Parts: sequence; C-alpha cells; structure tokens
Amino acid sequence: MSMKKVKLTSTGAEIRKKPLKLRIWQSRGFYVMFLPVLIFVAIMYYWPMLGIRFSFYQYKAAGRGAMTWVGLQHFQTMFFNPVKSGAFWNAFRNTLVLSVIKLLITTFTSVIVSIFLNEMQSLKAKKSLQTIIYLPHFMSWAVVASIFSLFLSPSSTGLVNGVLRSMGVVGEGEYIYFLANTAWWRPIYYLINIWKETGWGTIIFLATLSGINPELYEAGDIDGATRVQKIWYITVPALANTIITVLILNLAKVMNLFESVFVLYNTAVYEVSDVISTYIYRQTFATMNPDYGFSTAVGLFKSLVGCVLVLVCNRLSKKTRGRGIV
Amino acid sequence: MAKEKIIAPPKKKKVGTFDIVNYIVFILIGLIIILPMWKVLVDSLNRYGVYQFRLWPRDFTLEGYLTIIKTTRLIKPFFISLLTTVLGTFLGLFLSTLGGYVLIQFDMPGRNIFAYFLLFTMIFSGGMIPEYLVMKQLGLVDSWWILVFKHGINVYNLVLMRNFFEGVPASLYEAARIDGCSPMGIFFRIVLPLSKAALASIGLMFAVTVWNDYSTVQIYITNPDNVNFQYKLRTMIMDGDTPTTSYNISQTTLYNAGIIVAILPFMLLYPFLQKYFVTGVNIGAVKE
Repeated sequence: MSMKKVKLTSTGAEIRKKPLKLRIWQSRGFYVMFLPVLIFVAIMYYWPMLGIRFSFYQYKAAGRGAMTWVGLQHFQTMFFNPVKSGAFWNAFRNTLVLSVIKLLITTFTSVIVSIFLNEMQSLKAKKSLQTIIYLPHFMSWAVVASIFSLFLSPSSTGLVNGVLRSMGVVGEGEYIYFLANTAWWRPIYYLINIWKETGWGTIIFLATLSGINPELYEAGDIDGATRVQKIWYITVPALANTIITVLILNLAKVMNLFESVFVLYNTAVYEVSDVISTYIYRQTFATMNPDYGFSTAVGLFKSLVGCVLVLVCNRLSKKTRGRGIV
Repeated sequence: MAKEKIIAPPKKKKVGTFDIVNYIVFILIGLIIILPMWKVLVDSLNRYGVYQFRLWPRDFTLEGYLTIIKTTRLIKPFFISLLTTVLGTFLGLFLSTLGGYVLIQFDMPGRNIFAYFLLFTMIFSGGMIPEYLVMKQLGLVDSWWILVFKHGINVYNLVLMRNFFEGVPASLYEAARIDGCSPMGIFFRIVLPLSKAALASIGLMFAVTVWNDYSTVQIYITNPDNVNFQYKLRTMIMDGDTPTTSYNISQTTLYNAGIIVAILPFMLLYPFLQKYFVTGVNIGAVKE
C-alpha cells in the first residue's frame, strides 16, 4: 500500500494509523504539555520577528511611537551614505575578521592540545589536566575581561606594564595601554579567546581520538614508526573530518559576535573592534534620540546574513557528514 | 591473545624524550591557565595592590570580601544573580523537558509542525531592537525578570533534552500506557526519573548561562538597583564605578575579590560535577 499509511515508532515497530481525529483526541495531553513552550517561543522569538517591519519606517524613540514609512531609505543610508556607511562597513568587516580568525586560531590550538593530551601515558595526569583546561570556559566574559584588563592596566598595579617597566622595555612612568591601542587590541583579543576556549574545544577532538582503532597504532609499531610519525600519519588524518565539522558548525555563528567584544572594546579602538552587534547597540542605546528603524534595519541585515550562513553550513554539513547542523 | 603479547610491553614501559617533552608542555599549559586565577586570588587577599606576581599574600586581609558583603550596591547584585540563576534554571528545565518530551511523541499529529516551529527560531531572529521593543511592551525592561525569561526558553537545550529522552527505551512508555498511565504520569514517573543525568547537565548549562550573563543586563537594565553581579563587576573595574566607602584596602583588592566572588559558585561545584558539565557538549556535538 502507500507509504503514508504506515509509520514507524521510535523502536522501529510498525503501527497502523488510527483516524486523525481519534489520534488528535488521544494526544490532547501532549498538546496541553506543549502549550507553555508554544507561548514562550511565540512571545520571545516570533513576536520580535513582527518588528522587522520597523526597518522600513522612521521610528524615533522620542516621538512616542510615531512612525513614518521611508521604504528602503535605511538600507540606502547603511550601505551607501558617505557619512554613515563607513562605520557600518567597518563593523561588518570587523565581524568577519574577528570571528573567522578567532575560529581558526582556537580550533588550531584545540587540535594541537588534544593530540598531545591523547599521547599522555598516565590517565591520572590526563584527567587532571582536562579538569584544569576546561575551567576558563565557565567564566563569564565579564570576569575574563576584568581579569585581563587588570593585568594589562596602565596603572601601577598592572602586571604586564609592571614587568615591562622593571625590564626597562618601557621607561619609568611610561606604559602601553594595550586595550586602547589599535595595534594591540586584536592580538590581545585572540590571545584571551585562546586562553578561554582552547581547553573546551578539545572535548570534541578527544572524543574522536578515543574512537581511533588501536590496531592502526599497533600496525604502526610493527612497521617501526616513531611516535611523531604515528601522530602525523594516523592521528591527524583521523581528526580531519572532525576539524571540518567544527569549522562548519561555528561558521554558522560568525555574525553572533557580541559579548566578548563588548566587554573588551572602548572608544579608542572602534576602528579594529567594533562589530555589527556593538554597532547596533551604540546606534540605539548610546545615541541621543535614536531611530529604532535604522537599528532594526542593520539588525535585519545581520539576521539575513546569519540565516544564509546557517543554510550554507547546513548544506555543507549534509554533504560532508550526512546530516545537518542542528 | 597474540596481539596483547606483542603490543602491551613496549607501550607501557618506555618513557622516551617525547613523554618528557609532553609533560613539560602540559605543566606549562596548566600554569598558563592556573597562574592568572592564582594571582587574582592572592591579590584579593592582599591589602595593597602591587603588580608583581606573589605566591602568597603579604599583608593578608579579608577586607575585600567584607566590603562586598557590607556594601549594599555590591551584595544586592550578588543576590539578584543567585535568584535569577535559580529561577531561570527551573523555568529552563521545565520548558525544555516538556518540549523535549512532546517532540518524541511520534504518533501525535502535528509533531513535525511543532519541530519546525522551534527549529526556525535557530535560523532566523527578529534582532536586538525588535526584541528590546517587545520586552519593553511586556514591562520587562529595567526588571531582573528579563534574565529569567530570556534564558528560560532555549531551543538548543530543548533539542538536547529531546535527544536524551529518545534514549529512554520506548517499551517502557508502552508498558506504562497499557497500565493506564496518562501522558503526564508517564512524564513524571518514568521519563524524569530516568533522565537525572540529563537534568543535571542541562540544568547546569542553564545555570551557567544565567549566572554569567552580562549583555542582557547591559541592553535591558539601566536601573542600578536591578543589575546582576557580572554587570556590577565589569562596570566597577572597567568604568571605575566603585561604590567603596572604606579606604583601608586598595581598589585592586576589592576588584580582585569581586572577580573571585563572581566565579566562586561554579568553581566550588565544578570539581564534583565535572562529568555533568561536560556531557552536554558530547551529546550535542558527537551523538545526537
């Protein structure tokens, strides 16, 4: 008969479908249980989606909700206006640069650390190291930013400047204001990300490594391969798929950069640090009489790019590993 | 048998140059992670701020921590953090268990519609400003309840929960249904008791998210009476918004004590619950 009439349960057993009305009546308990989820998702996710229409209006905060239709004017301003588009494109470029470089660097360090963790002979040493390197992941960005801004502080109690002064790299009473310096901000940002996320990133690679068939290493032993050769010819190729997976999964989140930048950036370094979300934030909450319409338009652009990225990554993921990213 | 004989001995005994290098590298990595935290801890117990790294505080004082406890503008955010974390975790577990359970009802008409309804939110969103305007209409702007509601619903965690539930043998459900158990009854008597590990690890994910949240407060809350501890800490250190009245300790001491207080709850739980902290990722990324 037709395929539609037969459905499989999660155990794989066939069940013959009862009439739809009966099944709906029998599922009434589940519908009631789903109701709270439905309400929360509708309010927290779907209601805001209706607000996308603001991007075609002028919607001044001070005007008590007075809205004037302006069509695509906000997008024109955002992309082409000689005064305003500069900051937007700068933020867009920074979002891509910071996200992608951060992703590549932390993935690289995670792979290296997990390969060496995998080579550890003592299980106890391995376990305690894992405990330590996972720790920074559970610290908030506010805490991590606080710790490093104290260390990098130009004041007399800043660790890094203190050391530089005592070594004579900078003169007495002089300092490098790392977080307010356009040359230093990005490298510092990447380093802090490495410190915070490398350990956590190893989890997925270690899971892959524990699945490598030990016979491969035994075959290597018989052929007289050295440790380094075994790593290069057995371990690294085994990780290739996982590395691609991690890159794809995270590529979908490239546009989401916000908190990590927000807690570390400041007026002096917008040029190298301002990202789309921080730009939207300032346009709305740090501007006199903001136009909600304009910031919604920038947000819509961000959502659309993010959406395309998710769909592309989903396609890539299905191609490379046979299933989507969710 | 033959395999073991050939392989086992050389693998265990030899400690070559590689192993020594490996251990040195890992001691270094461990130190890179630990030393910054150690410096913060020592500085929080040191009366005078210095840049040098010290293994032990020189002028020991608990004044930094006492100042936080005694200053209303610091201890109140701490309690708001605690309260929102507890409430947010409960709401989060409530919604994700309900949703996850309903999503594995394969006989239920409309299950796919529900699934797509949830999954679409992971692909597209209204954005920061429409969200802000909706919360404003709901009266959640300037209220710490925003932290509870914003994190209470999390589609990703709901899907994780669903995956855990799918692992519960379906025969158990059927047996219970034949015994006349209602959907609610099956949920409370069979699904939840069998998913304690899932509840622990996803509950921790909710708790960490709410406790650590800074940007929600930055966007939605301007009233200093309703901010959480992360926000207070960051504005105190980076924007110099210090509420100290006593000056018998240095500002650095207070800052560092604040950092320790902000990470304390999870640092205390972490060694005991590490298993649960980590399972969530593996389920999400590897299995599914």
